[in-house]
Amino acid sequence: MKVIIHNLSEEYENILKEKCDYVIKADGKYSGCKGCFGCWTKHPAECYIKDSIKQVCRTIGQADELIIITENYYGTYSPEIKCILDRSIGVSTPMSTYRAKQMHHTLRYGKHNLWKNIVYGDVSKEEKETFKYLTERNAINFGYQNNDVVFISNLSEMEGNI
Amino acid sequence: MKTVFINCSPKKNFSASSYFISLQKIFVKGEKVVEKLRNKGDYQRVLDAIKDADNVVFSLPLYIDCLPSHVLPFLKEAETMCKENGIKFNVYSIINNGFIEGCQSEPVLRILKNFSDRAGLTFCGGIGIGGGVMLNVTRIIFLVQIGLFVLNLVLNFIQNGFVFPVGLVLGFLKSAGIILFFNAGVLLFISQMGFKINKSRYFGKKYTRILIPSFIFIIFADIFFIIISVFKGGIFRGLFSKKQPDDITISKEN
Repeated sequence: MKVIIHNLSEEYENILKEKCDYVIKADGKYSGCKGCFGCWTKHPAECYIKDSIKQVCRTIGQADELIIITENYYGTYSPEIKCILDRSIGVSTPMSTYRAKQMHHTLRYGKHNLWKNIVYGDVSKEEKETFKYLTERNAINFGYQNNDVVFISNLSEMEGNI
Repeated sequence: MKTVFINCSPKKNFSASSYFISLQKIFVKGEKVVEKLRNKGDYQRVLDAIKDADNVVFSLPLYIDCLPSHVLPFLKEAETMCKENGIKFNVYSIINNGFIEGCQSEPVLRILKNFSDRAGLTFCGGIGIGGGVMLNVTRIIFLVQIGLFVLNLVLNFIQNGFVFPVGLVLGFLKSAGIILFFNAGVLLFISQMGFKINKSRYFGKKYTRILIPSFIFIIFADIFFIIISVFKGGIFRGLFSKKQPDDITISKEN
């Protein structure tokens, strides 16, 4: 299934819902990851913080295609989106393996197809390079076989890229 | 010269980030200030601390190949403050990750460079450290060893009086040496970066790790998590199961 994570305003919600199977709105109304590893070692695949994204890793785990629409922050995601990713490490297990010749965690939900980032806002040349590199790293980390990143200067370009 | 160390770990105490700051402080001269950046409530205090700093050292854990989310809005506020007030300082960084390869911290070094460019600051590089969690555990083990060593010295004195406990001292030195070896790469680069901080010079990007072969590290890491999972109960609650969301409308088959 196709999952979209975004930090856009309400007006885009219906457009995005038509384009995928599930939409996660990064509204920022949730806490940051505390790094306790409880979603691995205490209640696997569930965060101890009881808010709207406590099971977000289970939803992301179902995704064959994951599309993230985010504002640029120095070559990475907006804080609201990054927070969702931080809270989703339950997509993997605490056990380790090698992927792309480096240490990573084994995948709870197996391999996925495409990780795509759609980035808007003011992005410098260096930040574009950073985002491309980060997207590659994230795709390996989460077990996605393909990755892509597009930079849009206007949100009207977004629809054609989903 | 004022150097501010920002501990960006969301953990209250005993974070790996705090461990590396305590090591870095040994090699830095002048005024040294350590600030915790755990959530938004800390932003203003840390911004006040860096206003007149010559050097700022970010020490942080790697979260999903990147910085923890709570640090990003802080960087935006710091950028605004620096630009509006013409504030300049050197940016250094220590990024630890739970994997074995220090180079997995590379994206954070790039992001901090991008932040520095936008804020008009001088990015001077940093150290990517692999096995940060395990190195932090060696610190805790070392502190426990010191405690036990002192306790044994006291017991030895009570039992035998003023007799030098050769075996006890040698045993302690041996275990301390092993821990020192694990940390040797980190100590080398942290001392080098301290030298550069003192001279306000560019350090570059350096990567190191706990000095253990990768496959042994993975075995230790797996054993560590299995033990923790037994104590916390996760091993009995589907440690590896493909748990479905409670929202039953979400399904991979859709």
